[in-house]
Amino acid sequence: MPDFKNASAGSNATGFSAMLDRRQLLLGAAGAAIGAATLGVASGLGIRTARAADRTEISFASASFFGKEGIGDLVKAYNESQDRIMVKFIELPPPSSSTEVYQGLIQQLARRNGTPDVFSQDVIWIAGFAAAGWALPLDEYFPKEKRSDYFPGTVAACTYDEKLTALPWFVDSGMFYYRKDLVEKHGGKVPDTWDDMATMAAAAQKAGDAKFGYLWQGKQAEVLICDAVEVITSNGGSILAHDGKSSIIGEKAAVEAIQFLYDTINKRKISPQNVLSWDEEPSRQPFTSGEAMFMRNWSYVYPIAQDPKASHVVDKVAVAPLPHFAGGKSAACLGGYQLGVNANSKKREAAIEFLTWMSSSETQTRLALNFGLAPSRPAIFQDAKLKAEQPFMASLQNVFTGATPRPITPQYAKVTLALQSGISKALVSGNVQAELKATAEQINKIVA
Amino acid sequence: MSLGSVSFYPIVNGVYLSFTNRSLITQDNDFVGIANYLQLSADPSFWNAWWHTIWFTTASTGLETLIGLVMALILCEAFSGRGIVRAAMLVPWAMPTVVTSKMFGWLFDGQHGIINFILLHAGLIDQNVNWYGAPETALTTIILADVWKTTPFMALLLLTGLQTVPKSLIEAARVDGARAWTIFWNIRLPLLLPTLLIAGLFRALDAFRVFDLVYVLTGGGPADSTETLSTLSYKILFSTLQFGYGSAVSTAMFMTEGVIALVFCLFLVRQLRKTT
Repeated sequence: MPDFKNASAGSNATGFSAMLDRRQLLLGAAGAAIGAATLGVASGLGIRTARAADRTEISFASASFFGKEGIGDLVKAYNESQDRIMVKFIELPPPSSSTEVYQGLIQQLARRNGTPDVFSQDVIWIAGFAAAGWALPLDEYFPKEKRSDYFPGTVAACTYDEKLTALPWFVDSGMFYYRKDLVEKHGGKVPDTWDDMATMAAAAQKAGDAKFGYLWQGKQAEVLICDAVEVITSNGGSILAHDGKSSIIGEKAAVEAIQFLYDTINKRKISPQNVLSWDEEPSRQPFTSGEAMFMRNWSYVYPIAQDPKASHVVDKVAVAPLPHFAGGKSAACLGGYQLGVNANSKKREAAIEFLTWMSSSETQTRLALNFGLAPSRPAIFQDAKLKAEQPFMASLQNVFTGATPRPITPQYAKVTLALQSGISKALVSGNVQAELKATAEQINKIVA
Repeated sequence: MSLGSVSFYPIVNGVYLSFTNRSLITQDNDFVGIANYLQLSADPSFWNAWWHTIWFTTASTGLETLIGLVMALILCEAFSGRGIVRAAMLVPWAMPTVVTSKMFGWLFDGQHGIINFILLHAGLIDQNVNWYGAPETALTTIILADVWKTTPFMALLLLTGLQTVPKSLIEAARVDGARAWTIFWNIRLPLLLPTLLIAGLFRALDAFRVFDLVYVLTGGGPADSTETLSTLSYKILFSTLQFGYGSAVSTAMFMTEGVIALVFCLFLVRQLRKTT
């Protein structure tokens, strides 16, 4: 029993910084070697290159995303594209170890020594980093008119206390997967409202076309908050009040929304009771094996659904914005990583320049093509190459337009634990009103 | 000195942290006295986790001791292939707990789990049970997984205890016409009691720290029904980075373990006095 605990806790707390330093060292050495090599090649070709010593050196910390290439390759491309700035990449664990990435970043930022100069962060950390004074406000570098190039939900998530403290990088969001063949058979039109969706799902289930009508994620975990934000917002409700100082999750709009989730299992019976212990993957499996009609999930599911080796529903699946309540608007929970500048960075100008490059249309297109990470700039979705190579991603523009951030508060880590516990209790007991009221009171104590 | 730095310093520092409001994210680091403990005593999620941990410890240790004892008694007898059986018995214990957790996750899966399949076909249930998704069954299932994994460890400890019982005593009793049950109850069990207590103590302290089974299988849900002190303090310490309050939870956990150890030791001392 103690083996796993020690392994994870130990490496988090103490081993981590040591490991990082070692990695930094290695990367530094590798970077120097590459630099020297390119220098040699470049001067051999007779191209004028500034010596490494003349360049401003900054560091960039990011979770390691991988596709056809890695973030390290991206940084290298930047270093080769100009001769004034040299970026050193500090590699953090992959995004699946989100807690470790979070700790790794905080340990470095809390030292306030300016390393890393630039970093990437999950949308839910932005407010915390800003409130701690670690993130440089970016308003003077990216005035309002420049921000309209990005999805509004992403800009909202990057804004804390009316200051822009992060720059949008790439996005993901919850989306509505449906089976084209079953929708065709049961009415022909992709449902707009939750009510239509439930009726259609029940009909398909009754006809024996699908074992499950609708799959979502009810495990007491972060993903439950995403599912909850989506239904609550689609009923015009919210978790936090507009000023962020109190919770309105106990009010009618939110209660109705969570009640709907409860009803999918207990009243309308379009979701199995198992969704209460399912996160993304367990809910994805029945869908791609052809047992379900509708599902809420992230964009990663689509390539799996189209892979004949892993899926029984190749070419039968499509994606739409999630349904909403009558009179409400579709909402999708915003995910993805955004960029930030360390407030203690001593090389601000260089940091901003690198940041601008990272978030530029060109780099975002490259991220989309080579990493499968969706752009935060709507304009890129019209790109011909993207449409040709990643037609699915190009079709998601309308899904991301409705993307809604999770509660923006520096206390998000505490708020989400309270929400996970409270919403899980509501879904298990069916005592929605009372449990959400209690949750609201608890959150009030945290954010007040 | 080195012993002090690796074991004493972390404990003292942990206790010290529990008297501060240290948090990485809010940058607070002030001495707040017993404020964390006052908050703790009024925190329903702490008591919820405390009771779950106590229940988990009692139930798993109790079951493991009973089943382990039966296994030890069987393995004590001479039969062909005993060596292989003894070695095979240790397989569950040798497996990493994360692997065990994943395995039980599939066994008890609500849709395709073999447990549901067997029970359904035996007519014991009339529809699939969602073992991990229902608060009534989630903790019990985790206890079962723990029993499966750790009973061999208990059996092994008790087996060594049984082998220290002098054979001559048992033979003498047999000659006097005592039946197997009488021999067990009057000779083996009393002589085994110190071993039993020590094994129980080891197991109880280990069970009290349960983390990996819960973390992998349920993450504390549904509705907090499987939250234990280890998973709760992990969440407070490493997700919300409240080092002060999290240390208070850990210290409370440490104190509870101390009490458990003390109770076992009292019994043990009494037992040793009686026999010597």
